[in-house]
Amino acid sequence: MHWNAKDSAIFQAQKEYIDTAIIPLTLIDGSSQGFLSAASAAEFTLSLSNMIENQFKGRIVLFPSFSYTKKQDKQTLLNDWSEEIKNAGFKHIFFITSDREWSTMEEEKSVIWIPSIPLESMDQKMKNSILEDQLRQLIPIFAKRWAI
Amino acid sequence: MSNNKVSRRQFLSYTLTGVGGFMAAGMLMPMVRFAIDPVLQKSEGGDFVLTEKKIADITEVPVRVDFTFEQVDAWYKSDVTNAAWVYKEGDEIIALSPVCKHLGCTVNWEGDPAHKNQFFCPCHAGRYEKNGANVPKTPPLGPLDQFEVRENEGFLEIGKAIPNTLV
Repeated sequence: MHWNAKDSAIFQAQKEYIDTAIIPLTLIDGSSQGFLSAASAAEFTLSLSNMIENQFKGRIVLFPSFSYTKKQDKQTLLNDWSEEIKNAGFKHIFFITSDREWSTMEEEKSVIWIPSIPLESMDQKMKNSILEDQLRQLIPIFAKRWAI
Repeated sequence: MSNNKVSRRQFLSYTLTGVGGFMAAGMLMPMVRFAIDPVLQKSEGGDFVLTEKKIADITEVPVRVDFTFEQVDAWYKSDVTNAAWVYKEGDEIIALSPVCKHLGCTVNWEGDPAHKNQFFCPCHAGRYEKNGANVPKTPPLGPLDQFEVRENEGFLEIGKAIPNTLV
């Protein structure tokens, strides 16, 4: 499901089945050396999130990506999001990111950190197969969490 | 000269009839065009998409075949990649849609080690037999859709989705 009017109506009617929120986290880096790599990482994160949405369409809602800067406090961001999402009736939350700084928070188990792969130099077919591989590795992570 | 003389009255009436006819035609043509428009409409969705899968390579084990087509959404054109589970049943080639009939997730062949020879939906543990029939007591309420298939110079072509004809 996407974050739009039509899918949200389905979500509210089918809460027992649709119980997981996906939030892509993308870093905005204004420095000249980090600008390009941040954009590349964001592209990867968003493409992968779309793949996840396609695979698990009937159980997740993919939220718009959350963009932040380095200075913002990550713990507060996580807590605020989690609180609001729980409020909406979701049981599980996954944050998808390629920013290494989140990886220290993986004990929370809701942040999935995937190292970014530069997709910009690949053709569509190559891109798809790379993302497909990444997705295959993610399926057990989701399945494990849902089994709890 | 005097034989084919056209009187002023005649000339005027010819001219008026001619011009009037043109005007009437100008008004009627679009109306007729609108009225029979459904007949002229090109049928959408019946087109077959060529895949890179060789017919000879298809076995009895379902494999995932991706195919890409151009989707036009109002003025916005985009390439959409879709997939099908393709296998051979006797001499017949069968292509099933990977979209779960429950809430639209993507199903995988033998996605659950506990259930061999079945399609598995990881979202809510829905299961389907190889022919697409939904396994009772799992969430899906209907069988997987099927795709029309045909051969083109040894390669597989996939057409539009149709309700499952095997169940």
